[in-house]
Amino acid sequence: MKLGAKKLKAGDHAKLSNLKKGQKAKVVLLNTSDKSLRRRLMDMGITEGVQIKIKKIAPLGDPIDIELRGYELCIRKIDLSTIDVEVIS
Amino acid sequence: MRVALVGNQNSGKTTLFNLLTGSNQKVGNWPGVTIERKVGMIRSTNVELIDLPGIYSLSPYSIEEEISRKFLFEEKIDLILNIIDSTSMERSLYLTTQLLELGIPVVIALNMSDIADKRGIKIDLKTLEERLDTTILSISAAKKTNVFNLIQTIKQGEYRKNNYHHIYDHDLEDGIRSLISIIDSKHPRFLAIKLIEQDPVFIKYQTDETLHTIQTLSKEYLRDMEQVIADERYRYIEYVRDEAVTAKKDQMTWTDRLDNIFLNRILAIPIFIVIMFTVYYLAAGPFGGATVDFVDRYVSLFSNWAEDALLSVGASPWSTSLVVDGMIAGVGAIMNFLPQLVILFLLISFLETTGYMARIAFFLDRIFQKVGLSGKSLIPFIIGSGCSVPAILSARTINDETEKKMTIMLTPFIPCSAKLPIITLFAGYFFKDNSGLASASLYFMAIAVILISAYVMKKVLFKGKTSTFILELPEYKLPSMKFILLDVWDKVVSFVKRAGSVILLASIAIWLLISFSWTFEYGVNPDQSILASLGNVFAWLFYPMIGEWSWGATVSAIQGLVAKEQVVASMAIIAGYSDTTSDGLLIFGSTAFSFFTAPAAYAFMVFNLFSAPCFGAIGAMRQELGTTKRMWGAVLFQTGIAWVLAVMVFNIGRLIEVVL
Repeated sequence: MKLGAKKLKAGDHAKLSNLKKGQKAKVVLLNTSDKSLRRRLMDMGITEGVQIKIKKIAPLGDPIDIELRGYELCIRKIDLSTIDVEVIS
Repeated sequence: MRVALVGNQNSGKTTLFNLLTGSNQKVGNWPGVTIERKVGMIRSTNVELIDLPGIYSLSPYSIEEEISRKFLFEEKIDLILNIIDSTSMERSLYLTTQLLELGIPVVIALNMSDIADKRGIKIDLKTLEERLDTTILSISAAKKTNVFNLIQTIKQGEYRKNNYHHIYDHDLEDGIRSLISIIDSKHPRFLAIKLIEQDPVFIKYQTDETLHTIQTLSKEYLRDMEQVIADERYRYIEYVRDEAVTAKKDQMTWTDRLDNIFLNRILAIPIFIVIMFTVYYLAAGPFGGATVDFVDRYVSLFSNWAEDALLSVGASPWSTSLVVDGMIAGVGAIMNFLPQLVILFLLISFLETTGYMARIAFFLDRIFQKVGLSGKSLIPFIIGSGCSVPAILSARTINDETEKKMTIMLTPFIPCSAKLPIITLFAGYFFKDNSGLASASLYFMAIAVILISAYVMKKVLFKGKTSTFILELPEYKLPSMKFILLDVWDKVVSFVKRAGSVILLASIAIWLLISFSWTFEYGVNPDQSILASLGNVFAWLFYPMIGEWSWGATVSAIQGLVAKEQVVASMAIIAGYSDTTSDGLLIFGSTAFSFFTAPAAYAFMVFNLFSAPCFGAIGAMRQELGTTKRMWGAVLFQTGIAWVLAVMVFNIGRLIEVVL
């Protein structure tokens, strides 16, 4: 996310990679074109409707540690950008 | 009776396996420590327990997941022991729903119950048992709680036999039933679902009839069936969770607090550098160096005593020489470094168990991504600071083929523990007050060489897509002293064994070659020995990096192929045969090696560090790269880089010397 970009508000639709630390969102659609990656994401619990929180961001800005289903997972920004979400807070 | 131990990565499978079987398999606090299946007998029973690599699902992405799935689907198993991390129930139960579909009885061990308790996670075992129709026990493998009951349950067969009922909605359930009626398999329900998912691995089981049924079913959903099934599984898990699990929300755990420091935007990288620097400073710096002198005094005392003893019982000069100048000189030179290696092993083992390793992978991923590697390559690199062989094997956890091959070829660049004697010997003598700095600089040089080589390899050799990186950050844990000590003990034992076997044999061979001439005359001038003439054949290769035609340095460096510490053993033996020019360390005070200057010493270290690894590691590369051709490619690539770097370092060093 570029500096100075507007912070997303509740109800906005966005890519998961655009959220800031501490923000929460609900998964709307998995747009992942790589089938094996998509399967992997689903296996890890990223299914439609699941709530995700941006927990930690690596010191160099990438990857990002997200919290879902009571656990945490690190994923690269580029892969998070294939996940469409609706911002909760 | 055969029991398969299955669970997510880092859920504590190996800790439980060790506890149940009384064995001592390697455990660590990062995902993917177990890369091959291991077999043991549960204590005081005749139950065979198979420890499988950690998996999140039964759809394979990397080799270790494939091992688990193949095993479960094809082999005869009486019971699955599903170990679950109580602190992440939802994700763990996803695998459980798949295991239940195999139709094999499943006993669930809810591990880390103590941590879940502390975090206020309450699990209603009875409800969970009813919903899943399996037997569930709450245990803590680390604290050994309730493990005895688990053994009893398995031994006496007092578990539910898994009359699994459906979890999917009606349409899907009907589709599965009609598929079951037309396929033939030991695990019909499991296979039916895999067919609906159109899993590529099970494509050979598809028939026109099954495809027709699946097509009809897909029309009901108008969505990708793989996604439908994953959604349905999690929907069911959410329902079970709501009934059986209560958890406090949004707590700040200790792990979060520590991560605020260790993963801090500004502090993370400096902290990492300080940690790695400290490890090498303690092991290879002045402190570690002092231990070498300490042991050396006793080795010399022993050597003198042995010589006197042998001569007094009337042993012939040549047999005395074999023992004193060959065996004791060679093996003794290596044993000097044992205390230092213990320090290194302790520190690495400590880092492995705390959970910090996964953090390193997390924050360095960005840099590694740029050169075509991922943070996951870092795990082999860190294990490689102990020994390249397990490090090369651990590269299996990397899903992407290209990235895996690159990691395997680059891992031997990391200074392994056997290279430590070389570093300490040279750095301690030539960079006295800065020996810690000189040793640590080699480690950071290794990282730089790895990054640059990876970048070049990516551009030239393997042009391909970028890989993905999905990793779970484990909780920070206070390391168990018992596990650390056992791990260090294992490594020490294998080091001593190597000194007593490979190094001993190589030392005897060197003694023979240096004591005899081609005409088999004993006690010749070393310059006329067979060893010298062999060294002279290759000495031109080393001239540009040490500035001296030295057969001694040449044969010693080549023996690095046998084992890297053999370089030091060989130098010690050769030095023993030369005249002493000055007091101090035996090796650099001898005419054979007195020519070494600081730039030559640094260059020689660089060559030994980066050139082809020992035969053990070359063998591991051969196995993991798959072909002998690729292995040769890797060996030549490594040695080529080592030579170029060493020559560069030597010449730059000489320039600096002139300027100063």
